[in-house]
Amino acid sequence: MKYRNTQLREALAAEYVLGVLQGRARRRFERSLKDDPPLRELVAQWRDRLAPLDALAQPVQPPARVWQAIRDRVQLGSRRRTLWASLGLWRTAALMSTAAALALAVWLAVLLPGRHVPDMMVVVMSGEDASPAMTVSWPMHSAGEPKLRIRVMGHPEMPSGTAWELWMLPGGDQKPVSLGLIGTEPTQELTIPRKFAPLVNRAWGLAMSVEPSGGSPTGLPTGPVLYKGQCTKL
Amino acid sequence: MANPDAIAELMARCALRDQRAFAELYRLTSAKLYGVAIRILRRHDWAEEVLQESFVNIWNHIVEYSAARSAPMTWMTAIVRNRSLDWLRRPNLERGDEDYDLLVESLPDEAAGPDVVLGNSRDAAALAECLKQLSGDQRQTIVLAYTHGLSHGELAEHLSQPLGTVKTWIRRGLERLKGCMGRGG
Repeated sequence: MKYRNTQLREALAAEYVLGVLQGRARRRFERSLKDDPPLRELVAQWRDRLAPLDALAQPVQPPARVWQAIRDRVQLGSRRRTLWASLGLWRTAALMSTAAALALAVWLAVLLPGRHVPDMMVVVMSGEDASPAMTVSWPMHSAGEPKLRIRVMGHPEMPSGTAWELWMLPGGDQKPVSLGLIGTEPTQELTIPRKFAPLVNRAWGLAMSVEPSGGSPTGLPTGPVLYKGQCTKL
Repeated sequence: MANPDAIAELMARCALRDQRAFAELYRLTSAKLYGVAIRILRRHDWAEEVLQESFVNIWNHIVEYSAARSAPMTWMTAIVRNRSLDWLRRPNLERGDEDYDLLVESLPDEAAGPDVVLGNSRDAAALAECLKQLSGDQRQTIVLAYTHGLSHGELAEHLSQPLGTVKTWIRRGLERLKGCMGRGG
């Protein structure tokens, strides 16, 4: 939802930064921040206004164990290249490959000859080097179970006993949701349960991780994330 | 307090996954941020937990900093404040009453007087000057809410005022603050 009233927006931004906006109202406000840049700007202004109050908190040296725990988690994240550890970098990569995404989107539209394609969702997924490696697309308004069209343009050799698992990223701090296992064939389709249709249509992006052959044992990505990308509506 | 340019440079290096820069960033900023968390949470074990989560979060999201537009310390403090507030608002959290009593005893001196000492920068001087122009009630509720993470309900209870009154103080106080600081530039 979007807050339209100017005074309300200002008041909510101020109370959010102050910390008195709570519970559902706080969560709703945080959700709308995601796609409302002017609202984020109001929040930034209030942060700047109130930041001098931080001087009232006396510095306190934290115990050494805090840094040890942080260091362990950060190093572990870098080694395993988990989804969470690479989230930040990946957004930059996603931005850098916008031009590539647009080129691919046009190319995908051409690939569906003679058909009008209303509201397709396209995800151009790339690896560390930000060059597109896989695309996933689906019509947003089809009746029945959504069919994801998957094109794999290239991939490293798969160790035996491993499988690829496709994840939907709802956005924000929400956990990834498994969409199922996929193969390495250049062209494939993945039918996902109908109840996922509204979720994938609102998802922030998709990711693909390497998992044991039966899929992730935990319900969350456990192996390295090879490719990921942001949803683009066409 | 470390120089903001030095912190910004360390953050840029962190964005390139330089773990030594991250260690240095922690060394320069953790005491300040831990102080902010303790102030809101009032328990060292919780503050440690929140500080840990916050720094992992800072590392993972540091690439987004460049878009944030704020001073580096403001950006990091916002992460610590948000995590602390989320922690306090968890369901089933037991925050002992003795903490509140201690808190309320220590409060009036710091927040009720018109002169809030905020440091020497121009921004700080502008905020301190504008806080002076609020009524005592407005000033006290705003400063308490910000520094200690008190909710409307907690403020009402500990200042023995109706909830609606406290909400109005805060809302009007914030409006006046914005008007005042807007004029100052």
